[in-house]
Amino acid sequence: MATGKTRRPWASWTATTAWSVSASLLLVGGLAVLAGLVDLIDTGADTPTLLTAGSGMCIAGVLLYARVERPDNTRPADILAATTLAMTLAILLVAAIYLLTGAAQRPDDALFEATTGITTTAMSVLDPAILGDGMRFLRAGTQWAGGFAALLVGIVILPFFGFGREFADRSRSGGYRPLAPDEWSATRNIAKLYVPGTILIWIGYALAGKGPFDALLLAMSTISTGGFTNSPDEFADASVQWVAILGMFLAGSSMVTLWHLVVGRGGLHRQTGLMLYLGMHIAGALLLMLWSTGDGMDSVRQTLFVVAASVSTTGFPMRIPHGWGAAAPVLLLLLVSIGAMSGSAGGGLQIRQHRALMKLAVREMARQLHPRAVLKVRLAGRVAGENTLRQIVVLQFLFVAVVFGTAFLVAIFGLDLSSSLSAAVHATATAGPVRALDGSLVDPGTWSRPVRLALLPAMIFGRLSIYPAVVALASLLNLLRSKTRLRRRYRARVHGRNL
Amino acid sequence: MSRPRPRWTTTTGHVTGIALLFVAAGMFASAIIEAVSGTDGQAMILASVLTALPGVTLWLWTRPGSLDRATVFTAVAGTWLVVSAFGALPYLLAGTFQRGEIGPLEVLADAIFESVSGFSCTGSTVFGSHNLIADQGPGILIYRQFTQWIGGMGIVLLVVTVLPALRASGLGLIGAEAPGEGGDRLAPRMAQTARRFWYVYVGLTALIATALLAAGMTPFDAVAHAFTTASTGGFSTRDASIGYWDSVAVEMVIMIGLLMGGANFTLHSRSVSSRRPVHMKDAEFRSYIWLLTGATLVVTVLLMDDGMGMTRALRSAAFNVVTLGTSGGFGNATGPGSNGDFVRWAAGPQLVLLLLLVSGGCTGSTSGGVKVMRLTVGISHARRTLRSIRHPRAVLPVRHGSGTLAEPLVERIAGFMVVYGMLVVSGTLVVAALGTDLVTALGGVIGSLGNMGPALNKAGPTASFVDGFTAPARTVLALLMLIGRLELFPMLLMLVTPYRVLQDGVRSRHS
Repeated sequence: MATGKTRRPWASWTATTAWSVSASLLLVGGLAVLAGLVDLIDTGADTPTLLTAGSGMCIAGVLLYARVERPDNTRPADILAATTLAMTLAILLVAAIYLLTGAAQRPDDALFEATTGITTTAMSVLDPAILGDGMRFLRAGTQWAGGFAALLVGIVILPFFGFGREFADRSRSGGYRPLAPDEWSATRNIAKLYVPGTILIWIGYALAGKGPFDALLLAMSTISTGGFTNSPDEFADASVQWVAILGMFLAGSSMVTLWHLVVGRGGLHRQTGLMLYLGMHIAGALLLMLWSTGDGMDSVRQTLFVVAASVSTTGFPMRIPHGWGAAAPVLLLLLVSIGAMSGSAGGGLQIRQHRALMKLAVREMARQLHPRAVLKVRLAGRVAGENTLRQIVVLQFLFVAVVFGTAFLVAIFGLDLSSSLSAAVHATATAGPVRALDGSLVDPGTWSRPVRLALLPAMIFGRLSIYPAVVALASLLNLLRSKTRLRRRYRARVHGRNL
Repeated sequence: MSRPRPRWTTTTGHVTGIALLFVAAGMFASAIIEAVSGTDGQAMILASVLTALPGVTLWLWTRPGSLDRATVFTAVAGTWLVVSAFGALPYLLAGTFQRGEIGPLEVLADAIFESVSGFSCTGSTVFGSHNLIADQGPGILIYRQFTQWIGGMGIVLLVVTVLPALRASGLGLIGAEAPGEGGDRLAPRMAQTARRFWYVYVGLTALIATALLAAGMTPFDAVAHAFTTASTGGFSTRDASIGYWDSVAVEMVIMIGLLMGGANFTLHSRSVSSRRPVHMKDAEFRSYIWLLTGATLVVTVLLMDDGMGMTRALRSAAFNVVTLGTSGGFGNATGPGSNGDFVRWAAGPQLVLLLLLVSGGCTGSTSGGVKVMRLTVGISHARRTLRSIRHPRAVLPVRHGSGTLAEPLVERIAGFMVVYGMLVVSGTLVVAALGTDLVTALGGVIGSLGNMGPALNKAGPTASFVDGFTAPARTVLALLMLIGRLELFPMLLMLVTPYRVLQDGVRSRHS
């Protein structure tokens, strides 16, 4: 009787690392293969490179995935670290494709473009006019995939393995179907909203007069809050602007809220987060109109466009023909840092976190008067756990730390103070092109290489809602420390013992 | 003749009355100096009389009552508001801010701004090229310095020192006014503790004055600057601030004085009583020194990278780091564009200074800002939270020094940081909406909340706040200075008691 060879399950961190490598290979490889096929419509010049690189990555990804033995127990910290690793590796693979196809001439340009794509930041240094259709598809595809990854992080990975477990939409009470009953169903349900959303916006752009291919690319960048465009006058037409405004609003809305609306769980009026998000658009547009010199319907539409691009952190560029008051750029910076709804593809600190912080501030004031009172914070109809609240406060602390750290780095590399702060906020909120104090858009191509490279970690931190990236960094440091045995060596030196 | 029996039981009124009497005494002393060698003596005497009258009335016709927490906040915030308003009288009556092109409302706003900046130890000023400090009489100048000296240790603390009738209520009042998370008692009785703080404060001021005299200042300038150094206030009797002397010795004395002022006064008192320094045993003090040393080194390196010589870079960096890190706010720039004019530095060192504007000095000191203790606890709290993600079942306490902090204290500090952050963001938006650019607005708001003095861009060490901010924006900043000086909550919650009283009145009328 033949006895089957029993394979031992892998350790948690080994398996999650292998899965993350395999996932990034499959994702980027799949995108490259698709892009190679799309390039056939155009000249087909990049097709061989894209197909070869893409299929190679896919094969490697499949082989690796097949070898992994599921561990007995997967640690949440390992999953968070693996998420960061997957995003970083995807960035490196996309950068490699940019270099292989010659779309980017220098490694730093390739890395910057890949990072802004995957992290949906929309600070581009490539000229899309000189790219073939395949590479343009790949460029928009990186944003589309990055947006989907952001949704997975916000709705599945963080609530299940990080913080805010009470806000994961898992409850089946009242006979409703939740968005995220478990990890795999959540992923499927998100795709059920994300793909039709993309198609809807695609049709919208096509009806507004865009060509089918350009409309598809723009739809992919819109639904992911990515913000890449294909030409400088992409939004010259008023009807395209309206579709973009609606698309950006949709992309910045919470998938959980949209799911509730789809399955009929509560009316619009019960979605407090959505109402706040809408209120931010209206209040932001009103204030911006108050602080600018423009008038007429064009001005209203352009203002709404700029506000939607900031709040949803899409970052589609819009040059404002009229003047700005001093407070207008400050308001936009504030909107960008607040960001979109939690559970959306948008960046920033996000609305739910801000609501929690506001309620915490009110509770702190109440505690000053009644120090022994037990005061709970309710969010989205649920009592937020003290641990979750603590983590939200620390998230704010880390967000500010990342912004300051990045601003300091880019300031050292030559940007002025306001540009440094502005660039750091935009990078951490993954919000796209930076505006100067007069409201004009700044071309990242004019920045020095060190400045652009210094912004990359902030984009990754921001796209991953900070915690996974910090946990990955801590894991890496721990690994280095244990490998180099620094602590043991230090103790041995201090206590005079040999290793 | 016996004192008439007080009619109203109101702690706020009683404390305010006595505080006004102290301020009037300071005005009167300054008026005598002005009368001897200045031109505004009469105006200042009139101001002191106008301040003393309501002070005496409140003192005689009120008596302190029991205090709940809401009333404590109202009493402390009310006292500071009233004192700041009356403190503007000498400037108004002497016509200090009278200029041809501005109306009476702006003159009033400027006088109140200078008064609030003085009492809150902020050191931001509306004096400038249009209205030179050099043109003012010695009475006005020493009064200006006096406002910072009295505000540094705390007006309410001064009242508690001389008012034993407050008894246990004094602890609540001091707690609401004192910087940081509560304070250590140095003696069993609160009045004794307050008195010890004042002894240390007066001793420190005398030491700094003597050292400044030895470093080459005139007696008047030495005393005036000792007032604002011990209080980490930052007002100067010269338009170029400390840059006027362009002296390393003077700058060293000011720096050491500011470092002492920015340290916890409990440590000074314990060092005096035990006759040996105990400062380095305190975790917060160690972090404070490390922070300032590290910032000095970083700024020096960045300034050298920008082309400044090593000695000049070190001198400029050390002075500005210490003066902003302790919320002193003095300047050592000899003029616009000189080495010490930090708004002309590259963006990197300016960002380090912006961080110092947030941090401030130690708890229990005269300095402003968030305080080093809160920052270190915030960092420990963040580390603990991150570790809890990696080890979800571990019980991880927040440590400060060798001790473990109680969870309610950690939560209180976290809550403070959240409220502080919200005030910075909303304040910046409001000040920007009133016509200021991003960097000036952000620097001005952080500087005002932290009682720092100079800010960034148009509100640098050689500029006047008149150049950087509109009159309404300056009023908002003055309000932020008071909110920051009282550690946010007393000012934010001061209307709770009046609201409750109003509500009770309405209810009783209905019933």
